[in-house]
Amino acid sequence: MSSVPGLGIARGMAFTLKRFFEPKATIRYPEQAADSAPRFRGRLQLLYDEWGTLKCETCFQCAQACPIECIDMGGLDTKGRYHVHWGPPETYGERREESALRRSGRTVPDAAYQHFEPIDVATVDAILDRYDHDPKQALQILGDVQDAFGYLPVAALKQISFATGTWYAMLYGTASYYRHLRFEPPAATETRAAFDAHRPSETSYLAALGAALGERQPATGTPAQPRGSRSRRPSSAN
Amino acid sequence: MATILRTPADWPRILLARGGRGRPTFDPADIEAAGAAGAWSAFRSVVRDLGPAGSIATIAASGLRGRGGAGFPTGEKWRAASEQPVARRFVVANGYEADPAVVTDRTLMALDPHAVLEGLAIAAFSIGASEAVVALRADATDALRALEAAVLAAENAGLLGVDVLGTGRDIVVTIRPVQGAYMLGEETVLLKALEGKRGQPEQRPPYPAVRGLFGAPTVVNNVQTLAAVPWIVANGAPAFAAIGSKASPGTVLVHVRGPLGEGIAEVPLGVPLGQIAGLAGGVAEGRTLKALLVGGPSGGILPPDVADTAYEFDALRSVGAHLGSRSVVVVDDRACVVDLGRLLTRFCADEACGKTIPCRIGTRRLAEIGERVTVGVPKPTDATLLADLAHDVVESALCDHERLATLPMTSGMRYFRSELDEHILHGSCPAGVCHPIALAAASRSNAPMTSR
Ligand SMILES: Cc1cc2nc3c(=O)[nH]c(=O)nc-3n(C[C@H](O)[C@H](O)[C@H](O)COP(=O)(O)O)c2cc1C
Ligand code: SF4
Ligand code: FES
Repeated sequence: MSSVPGLGIARGMAFTLKRFFEPKATIRYPEQAADSAPRFRGRLQLLYDEWGTLKCETCFQCAQACPIECIDMGGLDTKGRYHVHWGPPETYGERREESALRRSGRTVPDAAYQHFEPIDVATVDAILDRYDHDPKQALQILGDVQDAFGYLPVAALKQISFATGTWYAMLYGTASYYRHLRFEPPAATETRAAFDAHRPSETSYLAALGAALGERQPATGTPAQPRGSRSRRPSSAN
Repeated sequence: MATILRTPADWPRILLARGGRGRPTFDPADIEAAGAAGAWSAFRSVVRDLGPAGSIATIAASGLRGRGGAGFPTGEKWRAASEQPVARRFVVANGYEADPAVVTDRTLMALDPHAVLEGLAIAAFSIGASEAVVALRADATDALRALEAAVLAAENAGLLGVDVLGTGRDIVVTIRPVQGAYMLGEETVLLKALEGKRGQPEQRPPYPAVRGLFGAPTVVNNVQTLAAVPWIVANGAPAFAAIGSKASPGTVLVHVRGPLGEGIAEVPLGVPLGQIAGLAGGVAEGRTLKALLVGGPSGGILPPDVADTAYEFDALRSVGAHLGSRSVVVVDDRACVVDLGRLLTRFCADEACGKTIPCRIGTRRLAEIGERVTVGVPKPTDATLLADLAHDVVESALCDHERLATLPMTSGMRYFRSELDEHILHGSCPAGVCHPIALAAASRSNAPMTSR
C-alpha cells in the first residue's frame, strides 16, 4: 500500500501505457502461424484417468514407433515393479509422474534420479557370445542372464541392448512382458505364496474355478478401488 | 499327471492309443520300442510313397480341423503355406496350453511325444519346411523331458535332423519352453515369443501360413492336431472322417472338471455335451446341475437345457461357447453364474496384452461391470451397457482373445438373465454368493452410484 493515494493506479497505468507501444506478442492464429520446427508435434505429455492413474500402459508402441528413439520407458511399469532406468533426462519421456511434470516445466523432487547399480558385464558378454549376439534369441539371453544374476539388473539390460543392437525400450518391453523374468532380486526363500503372487491372475482364476465347484471361500472385496490395478482383485481371500 | 477318465468302450482311441492307461507304453528314448508300437511308420510312408502333395491331400480329405480352438481346416493351412513362393518355411507345434486349469496337451506330449513329433515331421516334409519348433510351457517339465528324449532318439535314427531318411531334406526340431500370459497361446503371439519379442498379437490376415515366424510362411498347429496326423496317414482319410461328427471328424482330449472329480478323456467330436460332463461324475446327490462352463476362462456358461448340444466347433459357437482350451467345467446349484462370469472376465482382462483399446480398456470395463453387479452398487442400466460394450469389443477386437473374453458375461446374461436382474434390481444373489447393494438401498443412503 502506498502512502500517496492513487499512486498505485498511476504506476499500473504507466506500465500499461508502456506495453501499449511495444510489439504485440499475440499471434493471430489462424491468419498468422507461429514458426515451429517442421517436425514439432507438441510437448510429450502423459495424461491421467479419472482415478489419477497414468493412462499410459507401457505398451511401448510410441517408443517403438519413434524414428529417432527419443521416447523410452522407465519408472513404474503396469505390474507395479520399480525399475530405475535413466539416461540424459532431456532425451527420455519416462513413464513416470515426475517426468510428466518435468516435461511440463516444473521442478520436481526426484530422489530416484540416479545411475543404476554397476555389474560385472563379463558374465553378460559370455552369455551374449553363446547366443552369437543374436537379438532373435533375446528370450534365451534374458533367461540365462537371470539365471546368472538371480534377476535382470538394469546394467545387464543396457549391455544386452548395446551388444545386440536392440533398442532398450524393446528389450525392456520384452523382459517385462514375460512372467518368469524379474527386475529385482528374489526373496531368500521362494515360498508357494510368493510364487503365486508372481502370477496373481492365474491363481485367482484357479481359485474361481474351485469356488464354482464348491470349494467356497467368502466373496470379499469392494468395487470402489482407487486404481484399476492389475494386482488388486476382489476375489483374493484374506 | 492327470487321471485318464473312463470312457465308453466304443469310443475310438487315436491320441491316447499309446498312453491310454495314463503312463507311456514305452520309453521315449527307445526308438526300437517306439517303432514296434507303430510310431514313425506313417512318416516313412509319406516320404516313400505319398510325397508332399499326397500327404496334404490326405489330410485335407480327412477333414481334420485344428484343435487349438478355432477349428481351421488343417489341410487348407498346410496347402496355403506350401504354395508360398519362398525357400524358408517353418512348422510350429503349439503345446503352450494357455489355460492353467487344463493339462491335456501337456499330458499328450508326456505320454506320446513320438506321435507329436511324427505329425510335426509329416507337416514339415509336406510343406517343405526344414525347421520346426515345439513350443510348450516351461513348467511342463514332464513333457519337456519326454520330448527331448524323443527328439534325440529320432535324430539318432535318422528320422529327424539333417538328411532325413536319405531324402536330402533337413527337418531340424527345436524345443522351446516359453512362459508368459494366457495370450501367449495365440498363434501370432507365440511367434513373437519365438522371435524373442514382447508377446502381442498381430493383425490377421496375413495369416502365419503366409507370413509367420521371421516373416516366413509358418504352419502353427496344436499338438493334438499334429498327433492325429500319423493315425490319418496310417489308417486312411476315410477312416478318420468316419469318426466323430461330419463337419468335425476325429477325437479331442477334453479336460473335464466337476464337483466330484476331474480328469482327461478322449472324446469323439459331436458327442452331446451332457455326456462329457457326466464323465467326471456329474453332480453330488441332492444337488442339481446348474451350468456348464465350456471353453476355459473365455468360455461360455451354458444352462443344463443345452446339454444335448454336440461337442464340436460349429454347434458350440451357435450356443455361445467354443471349444477353446477344451475344458468342460460342471457347476452345481451352489455356484452363482454371475459371480463365475465376473471372475472369468477379470482373468481375461488381466491377461489381455494391452495392445489395442478393446483389449486394454474394453475387457477391463467389462470386468468392472461384473464387479459392480456382484459386490458393488449395480446401475439399472448395467445389463444394456454390458451388451453394448460386449458388442463393441467383439466388433473392434484385434485378436480373438478380447472377442472371446466377452463370452462368460454375454452367455451368462443370455441364459441366466433372471439371475442377473435379481442382482441388479433387487441387490440379491439367488445362490447366496454375491453381496450386491440393492439399488433402492443405495439411493436411500446416497451412496455413490458411480463408484466405478
Ligand atoms: C487367447 C488365445 C489363446 C490360445 N491358446 C492356445 C493354446 O494354448 N494352444 C493352442 O494350441 N492354441 C491356442 N490358441 C489358438 C491358436 O491361436 C491357433 O489357432 C492354434 O494354435 C492353431 O492350431 P490348430 O490349427 O491346430 O488349431 C489360442 C488362441 C487365442 C485367441
Ligand atoms: S507406451 Fe506410449 S503408446 Fe503405449 S500407452 Fe504409453 S504413451 Fe501410449
Ligand atoms: S489381447 Fe491385446 S489385442 Fe488381443
